[in-house]
Amino acid sequence: MKWNRSYKRNATALLFLIMLLVLFPVRSEAYAGPGAGFAVLSSFWTLFLAFLYSLYALVTWPLRHVLRLLRRRTSKGKSQVKRVVVVGFDGMDPELASRFMDEGKLPHFAQLRSMGAFSRLATTFPAISPVAWSTFQTGVNPGKHNIYDFLGRDLRSYLPFLSSAEITGPKRHLRIGKYSLPLGKPIIRGMRRGTPFWHLLAKAGVPCSVIRVPVTFPPEKFSGVLLSGMCVPDLKGSQGTFCLCSTRSAGDKFREGGVRVPIERNGAKFYSYIPGPEDPLGTGKELRANFAIRTDSEDGSARIEMNGEKITLRVGEYSDWKSVKFKSGLGFGARGICRFYLKSISPELEIYVTPVNIDPGRPDLPVSHPVTYSIYLAKLLGSYATLGLAEDTWALNEQVLDDDAFLAQCYSNHEDRERMFFDALEKTPQGFCACVFDTTDRVQHMFWRYLDGDHPAARDLTRNQRPEIIQDLYRRMDALIGRVIEQIDKDSLLLVISDHGFKSFARCVNLNAWLHQNGYLALKEGKSESGDWFEDVDWSRTRAYTMGLNGLYLNLRGRERHGIVSPGAEGQSLKDELRTKLTGLTDPQSGTASITGVFDCDGIYRGPYLDNAPDLIVGYGGGYRASWDSVMGKVTANIFEDNLKAWSGDHCVDPRLVPGVLFSNQKIAADRPQIADVAPTLLKLFGLDLPSYLDGRPWTVSSRAA
Amino acid sequence: MFSLSISPSVSGSVAFLSPSVAPLIDVIVISVIVGFLMVIVFRYTSDQKAIRRAKDRLKANLLAVRLFQDQLSVVLRSYVRILRATGGYLRLAFTPFLIVSIPILFLIVQLDRYLGWMPVEAHRAFLLEAQLDNSANLDGIVLQLPPELVSTAPAVHVPAENMIAWRVVANREGRYKVAIVADGQASSKQVVVSGGVSRISPVRLRGTFWARMFESGESALAPSGPIRSISINYPSREITFLGGQWNWIALFFVLSLVAGFFFKTVFGIQI
Repeated sequence: MKWNRSYKRNATALLFLIMLLVLFPVRSEAYAGPGAGFAVLSSFWTLFLAFLYSLYALVTWPLRHVLRLLRRRTSKGKSQVKRVVVVGFDGMDPELASRFMDEGKLPHFAQLRSMGAFSRLATTFPAISPVAWSTFQTGVNPGKHNIYDFLGRDLRSYLPFLSSAEITGPKRHLRIGKYSLPLGKPIIRGMRRGTPFWHLLAKAGVPCSVIRVPVTFPPEKFSGVLLSGMCVPDLKGSQGTFCLCSTRSAGDKFREGGVRVPIERNGAKFYSYIPGPEDPLGTGKELRANFAIRTDSEDGSARIEMNGEKITLRVGEYSDWKSVKFKSGLGFGARGICRFYLKSISPELEIYVTPVNIDPGRPDLPVSHPVTYSIYLAKLLGSYATLGLAEDTWALNEQVLDDDAFLAQCYSNHEDRERMFFDALEKTPQGFCACVFDTTDRVQHMFWRYLDGDHPAARDLTRNQRPEIIQDLYRRMDALIGRVIEQIDKDSLLLVISDHGFKSFARCVNLNAWLHQNGYLALKEGKSESGDWFEDVDWSRTRAYTMGLNGLYLNLRGRERHGIVSPGAEGQSLKDELRTKLTGLTDPQSGTASITGVFDCDGIYRGPYLDNAPDLIVGYGGGYRASWDSVMGKVTANIFEDNLKAWSGDHCVDPRLVPGVLFSNQKIAADRPQIADVAPTLLKLFGLDLPSYLDGRPWTVSSRAA
Repeated sequence: MFSLSISPSVSGSVAFLSPSVAPLIDVIVISVIVGFLMVIVFRYTSDQKAIRRAKDRLKANLLAVRLFQDQLSVVLRSYVRILRATGGYLRLAFTPFLIVSIPILFLIVQLDRYLGWMPVEAHRAFLLEAQLDNSANLDGIVLQLPPELVSTAPAVHVPAENMIAWRVVANREGRYKVAIVADGQASSKQVVVSGGVSRISPVRLRGTFWARMFESGESALAPSGPIRSISINYPSREITFLGGQWNWIALFFVLSLVAGFFFKTVFGIQI
């Protein structure tokens, strides 16, 4: 009805205008005012561009089609599939999936199990997402793709660095007074080695759309479209730094992942800011984006004013993605996007601000290939999170967000990705289309405490009080798979995979503390504990140390700056000793083994980047993981402690305990399938010859497509 | 019929400029003001969010054509969506466009009195034409001129068109009234003799309200009189800009568009 009324009104107005022009056609050009000009020019210009593009696409299509056929001539005849769709659910656990399928809660997964395939998918050593997804895309072991953890270590300083990408400022600067003008763009260097299999497919003329597969930042050039996923930094260059603006007098500093910012009152208004990146003009200052707030206590709302835009939020409500500008001098600055969440307005005014993401519509750093792909998605779907780890687990860990706010953030991001994926599916009627959803990983990490009957972080809750968040998560993913099955034709092969499974993380193991107490790691005189990143470690007397999630390193002479262990026999002997002592390390509280296996990297990896690998991979038992302190190179007094954080589930354990899942809509014959097999399987399905460097083995898929 | 309450203020303020430059300045200033007002009016009469969404959809489908150019079906589907999105955009722009266009239409009509025509120059002949209901009255028509105006040739009768025309010259600049007497009834017409920008009505009509509003700047002729219209062949004005000769409306159109695009960018308005 509303539309009808509007239509009638418009039609009447149009009739009136036409009558006016027809009845009084004096100097007709007088009626072409600029209003008409805008409307006509804008639409004309768009149509004109569309026409040119379409004409170009249509005219050159036969030529390009022939070229594509020529490129595919070696593979086309051998191709067994028209399209392969890979849906990745980061961290989907086969045990939980089986349980929920058996309980009838996952009808679409159960359908795949009965009509196609379902099995466990062996993960990598260690079972960490960047490692496993790197193996997925390259088909090789970490010794060939160079990703062993989220973090690598600097051999000179023993400090960590992000293992997947390195971002440095422009090489050249122009010094003008106090300013240092950057001449050029930041330099981004990808650290993952190896060739993603979609590069080979695209080279052979297979259309490819790849959405948010981890460790695809910086986006590499190939003849397809790709949106980067995990490891894309925020505007500060971190993996996600949230901001809590508060009138509360400063509390404890957040351990990791966030900063506190004061809100100052001035009359009826409040003022605060979002911390941004470092000034590109080299002043050493942090850029800030200021905003003002007005509260309405009666309404329970606050109005945020930033960049001339007014955003009204009720308590417990998120804003849409908003553009944030950080201004520096001389016209320099940075631009990103963020969301506001109004935590409370009374007694204290508190606003949570997400990490400032790279704006996909106007990216300061490329987050897609081609760069226009992220712009295309932003125009089509609106702004969206680009940060690799966009679900702010740290904010929930630090109790800045509560469960509901965190879940709302997760599912909001997930819905954006679903829309991206279904668009990619539509745009790839033949070829290869993949999307990795990481909501499964984040939600399981943060809510396993409600699944585990006796988790220390939820002991005060009775069984009835524990929400079924993970079950709901699996149901949502099942519904998604249902829509995918509906959308794809019978000639499309659907693979649903995960990089690893999940286990409870109830107890923390500080391996650095164990190394210290057992004489492998020494502290400086008078110290019984160390600060973060080995602050008080005496390297001249240290033989082994650990940082990151699963890696254990020898302090090797000639490799580490202050190495004291000789490579060769001494190193091997120390590794054997550590393996023996650590395997079966008993938790005195429960009497169970906290470590079920320690793996010598010389035995499990092969390839040109073996030198960058840890010396040993520690496989924790179910319910255990490296402690938060141990990950950050801190030595504490206790080896074991309860994990009281919301981050209550994990997969950084013995990889044999946490395989991923493999579902398919077609039968798959494979002996102990592993994640490294995906690349060779797909290359073979599209009729390509398999490169000799691949470590995976292709499965036999009983394809119905000829 | 209607006249602006202000005479072209800009012309007054730039009277020291040469007569050929003053109209250009007028058009530039008016275009900038109109461009500014138009985007502001557009801002408050349009659904800015919906327009932004419609434009984004257009751009997305344009990019889709480029990104997926090897997939012919995708290209064709995107092109259909571009057409649909363009229709949606035009529908959203229609109401504000209508609201903006009507006042601009009347503004242009009024400005055309000043900028569309040039007054006749002193000592230069011009034609004065009268259109009658029938040719029987042509012989009895008398032209009455003020002393500053002189008829330089006998009247030309065109019975086939019920028309009579005189060639007239003005001796001095000024605003005069000439009278044409037919069947004992006198009908007057204003004549503007000047070298600058003046308000000009090229024709006086007996016609309807709307016809006079768009064409004439004078009151109506008596409906029962024998004369249908009296007109003067004022030369139309051409403005020199960027090396070319422009009709003021064409120039206004271009300049107000440029100004509009400038202000829309400054104020972040979606058009």
